[in-house]
Amino acid sequence: MLEIKGLKVDLEEEEKSILKGVDLTVGAGEVHAIMGPNGSGKSTLSYVLSGKDGYEVTAGSATLDGADLLDMEPEERAAAGLFLAFQYPVEIPGVGNMTFLRTAVNAQRKARGQDELSAGDFLKEVRARAKDLKIDAEMLKRPVNVGFSGGEKKRNEILQMAMLEPKMCILDETDSGLDVDAMKLVSEGVNALRSEGRSFLVITHYQRLLDHIKPDVVHIMSNGRIIKTGGPDLALEVENNGYADLLAEAE
Amino acid sequence: MTALDQVEVKEGVDQETVDAVAQLSGAYKYGWNDDDIEMDYAPKGVNPDIVSLISSKNEEPQWMLDWRQAAFTRWEGMSVPNWAMLKVADIDFQDLYYYARPKSMEVKPKSLDEVDPKLLETYKKLGIPLKEQAILAGVEGAENDLPERKVAVDAVFDSVSVGTTFQAELKKAGVIFCSISEAIREHPELVKKYLGTVVPPSDNFYATLNSAVFSDGSFVYVPPGVRCPMELSTYFRINAENTGQFERTLIIADKGSYVSYLEGCTAPKRDVAQLHAAVVEIIIEEDAEVKYSTVQNWYPGDEEGKGGIYNFVTKRADCRGARSKVMWTQVETGSAVTWKYPSCILRGDDSQGEFYSIAIANNYQQADTGTKMVHLGKRTKSRIVSKGISAGRAQNTYRGLVSMHPKAKESRNYTQCDSLLIGSQCGAHTVPYIEVKNNSSRVEHEATTSKVDDDQLFYCRSRGMDEEEAVALVVNGFCKEVLQALPMEFAMEAQALVAISLEGSVG
Amino acid sequence: MALPQFKQDATDARLDAVTVPEGAAWLTQARKDAMTRTATMGLPHRRDEYWKYTDPATLVAVDAPAAEVLDDDDAIFSDAKPLTLVFVDGVFDAAASDDLTGENLDIARLAEAGAQDIHWAKDIYGVLELAGQNPVQRPLASLNTATATDGVLIRATGPVDRPVCLRYRRKESGTDAVLHHVVRVEPGAKVTLLETGSAAARLSTVTEVSVADGGEFHHVRQQGRDHGRRMNTHTFARIGEGSVFKSFTLSLNGVLTRNDCVIEMLGDDAVAHVAGACVGDGDGFHHDDTVFITHDALRGESRQVFKKVLRNGAVGVFQGKILVKEGAQKTDGYQISQSLLLDDDSQFLAKPELEIYADDVACSHGSTSGAISEEALFYLRSRGVSEKAATNLLTLAFLAEALEEIADEGLAEDLRDRLAGWLDRHAG
Repeated sequence: MLEIKGLKVDLEEEEKSILKGVDLTVGAGEVHAIMGPNGSGKSTLSYVLSGKDGYEVTAGSATLDGADLLDMEPEERAAAGLFLAFQYPVEIPGVGNMTFLRTAVNAQRKARGQDELSAGDFLKEVRARAKDLKIDAEMLKRPVNVGFSGGEKKRNEILQMAMLEPKMCILDETDSGLDVDAMKLVSEGVNALRSEGRSFLVITHYQRLLDHIKPDVVHIMSNGRIIKTGGPDLALEVENNGYADLLAEAE
Repeated sequence: MTALDQVEVKEGVDQETVDAVAQLSGAYKYGWNDDDIEMDYAPKGVNPDIVSLISSKNEEPQWMLDWRQAAFTRWEGMSVPNWAMLKVADIDFQDLYYYARPKSMEVKPKSLDEVDPKLLETYKKLGIPLKEQAILAGVEGAENDLPERKVAVDAVFDSVSVGTTFQAELKKAGVIFCSISEAIREHPELVKKYLGTVVPPSDNFYATLNSAVFSDGSFVYVPPGVRCPMELSTYFRINAENTGQFERTLIIADKGSYVSYLEGCTAPKRDVAQLHAAVVEIIIEEDAEVKYSTVQNWYPGDEEGKGGIYNFVTKRADCRGARSKVMWTQVETGSAVTWKYPSCILRGDDSQGEFYSIAIANNYQQADTGTKMVHLGKRTKSRIVSKGISAGRAQNTYRGLVSMHPKAKESRNYTQCDSLLIGSQCGAHTVPYIEVKNNSSRVEHEATTSKVDDDQLFYCRSRGMDEEEAVALVVNGFCKEVLQALPMEFAMEAQALVAISLEGSVG
Repeated sequence: MALPQFKQDATDARLDAVTVPEGAAWLTQARKDAMTRTATMGLPHRRDEYWKYTDPATLVAVDAPAAEVLDDDDAIFSDAKPLTLVFVDGVFDAAASDDLTGENLDIARLAEAGAQDIHWAKDIYGVLELAGQNPVQRPLASLNTATATDGVLIRATGPVDRPVCLRYRRKESGTDAVLHHVVRVEPGAKVTLLETGSAAARLSTVTEVSVADGGEFHHVRQQGRDHGRRMNTHTFARIGEGSVFKSFTLSLNGVLTRNDCVIEMLGDDAVAHVAGACVGDGDGFHHDDTVFITHDALRGESRQVFKKVLRNGAVGVFQGKILVKEGAQKTDGYQISQSLLLDDDSQFLAKPELEIYADDVACSHGSTSGAISEEALFYLRSRGVSEKAATNLLTLAFLAEALEEIADEGLAEDLRDRLAGWLDRHAG
């Protein structure tokens, strides 16, 4: 599904190398977790994959089902099935959440050559999905993320994921700023979306999210590289011993 | 926890304010006149002869006289600007003295201890730190007793500078701090290079008049890489009657240097309005920084609006070099009329300008003040925080310009101007001009006008403060952001001034 | 005081070229007086402080500069089934217009009613315009009072359910149209006035609105999209106790637009809202909103909400003022002007003023200018929305606050759709 090879990335504004050769393959239906200390390049990876400005890819490739992601505009990547749940979802005053969702859903359908959803079908779909995530009608009416609590913002991200039905979902520190109940709710939302054809890349600093979203593979990232890959046990090891030992080992 | 901690007055008001307010009583406290100081006047009125006379009194070279005469010729063809929201009686520019100096200064004192004790007495009454007076009076060893924080003072009495302290120590650091008349004689190459380059002689009616007749003022040059070892300060005093004061200040901060400059002003109570038309020019080179703080407490006139200083001042800083910085802070409590817009030309890339202002107008005072932020360089930043307080029958106007030129890419401005009204017969006005000519720059302007919050006043009073104390407290809270920008010594004085200026504004 | 020579010359040239139409004695007198004050004031010039940001030269010039005729969108406002009056190049088209009758409505044309010896409009025509000349002179308005050839006189005597719509059409490429409307809303009455279209190469309108105690006046207009057209409009309103005045303007295109709105709030508890959304695309597009609201009574509420989206060298101007007179306590005044600059060539020039002589007030104004938020744009694109569509969505969101000022949701929706469609076709 997702194949990253030798990816090297610099900051555009200053001469600083963030990713120093990342190799990663996520198969269809798999859930991978990337863990690592702050500043290891986890979020940069998610931004580069989704096409945010400000980064320069100096080497390597990233493909989704064989299609070159790095060559696409952000919206083309989304249409190709890539979805990023942001760590800090942006607030957009004046744009209603419903309008936003409908525009996004129809834009992607159009790009895939499907008919636009009728207003009625769309509404039915949103309401059903929103209910699962305990998102009330009031929240749907408000402008995108404006005045949302941390938990509401993250649930809203998952709602978008549910509506857009991507193949490849990247969750960037989705657990940050969530209390236990909110994390459970979000995790349930994610787990409900797990399927054979859909893969996940869960980026997190802590192991606790992985109690709820069980990964197949865990990668440890440090200083712009993946330094160790293992099974779910690797996450527990980090939880118990911290990153220090792993980092020392990698040296 | 004290009761005050729980008060939801504007944040940041503290016990010090209350104490400072309590200590001070009476109206304008700088209002005496020292008429027994013998003065030397030039004849009333202005003409080329007077211009020549001023120049010769200051023993100026020919080029300076030519510069003045050219300005005078231009001024004759100009008319009084009328765009400000000010009602000013016509000024008879021929009925003023343009030059007055204490007789004792006729022969320049060779050292500070030759300064007339009566002058020193005046400065003592003004509350200029006693240590400086000791130095002004030349007390031996006084410099050694000073605490760590030093302030060098240049005192300007009517038309002339009477003495500058700490010359020796400043000289050691390479800093030149002297009267501008001295600078014209001693450092003509610097004066020639910079004078009139920020405020050209043709700039505006009052600046042009100043260019022709300025009598004295301060001069500062901080050489490259030097951090001025102490605060520099000028105290201006208008004493003589019917006298216009036209001082000229020129500050040059060379590459990578830093200086903080304080300016204080007072004048005696006189029934007849007096004119003050100063020009301040600041040049800031690459990586240099200048802080300029003013506490303007010219005599504001009496409760009926009689007398007071007409204050028409042109102040401008030119951030010429990349990453240069200027910060204007002003507390304007005095003068019958204030017309003043300390401005920043942000020419160098990444240069920064800040303007913090408190303007208080009580009784019949009128203030029209603000700033101009002209963004020319890339990534330049400016910030304007203006607090206007109107009481009595006063009119207080904020007037400002924020201009983003097409080449000033990725620049930023933030402006906050708040007005507070105390009493139903005063006025508060806001006249901002915003000109944005590129889209990568962001400009934000906010302004509010409101009255002193009754709930806050009541809360303070229920804790035992009388109404005036309560108002002073709340107003000081309203001004806190600006007061905090002042150097410490000034901040205390300014806080007390806020209270005094508002006396009689309630009840 | 004598006018400066350049002003005198420009004024003489224009006034020599205009004709004062015939009418009944009251109207002729009003026109003559207006002509006199126009000559005294002189026509505006760039050097006047009030025209600092907009050059009035082409509005003052003797001849209207030619402007290509564009087929205008006639469908707008049709859902509201309004009583429609059509003016073609400033001339009334009876065949295309509805009958001038309606419930609680007294409606007539200036060209006809102005010939009657007695008419209610006498108390308003030129009177509110004259009052609006102080403290700022508006000579283009008095020139209109003197020379307007037609217009509509509307008197609401009770609630008028059917909006009155003025449709301006064009056939000629180089004509002037000068129209002067008068609206009188009686106590407790209510009426909605709609305006749409490009009336002429150069249009001048003055609308004088008197709203009595408890009355309501709603005004929604869409200014014609012909690229080369020029217009200056003046609205003078005087509103009474507990009354409501709401005006919204959508401007797309047009090489020059200057909308002056002057409101005097004379009765307690009155409400006045003025709002505008403008989208300017292209070099030469110049759009100026100038608003002057005077609070002269207790507990007045006023709002000014103006949003401008500018690209390709377009210039947006906002001059807004809240004047609170002595004694106008408990005034609530709000003013916001914002611009979204879609590229580096566009400009936003603003002078948002407060002049306040009463202490128990809460007045505020805000003004911002900047580019579209990169963060928001990326967020939308990461959800699959194209850059163009995302830009349009954010542009509409930016304008939304102004459109929300329209009380009638149907009309608001109508304008919103049109705006979205227009952006869709033109942007990117």
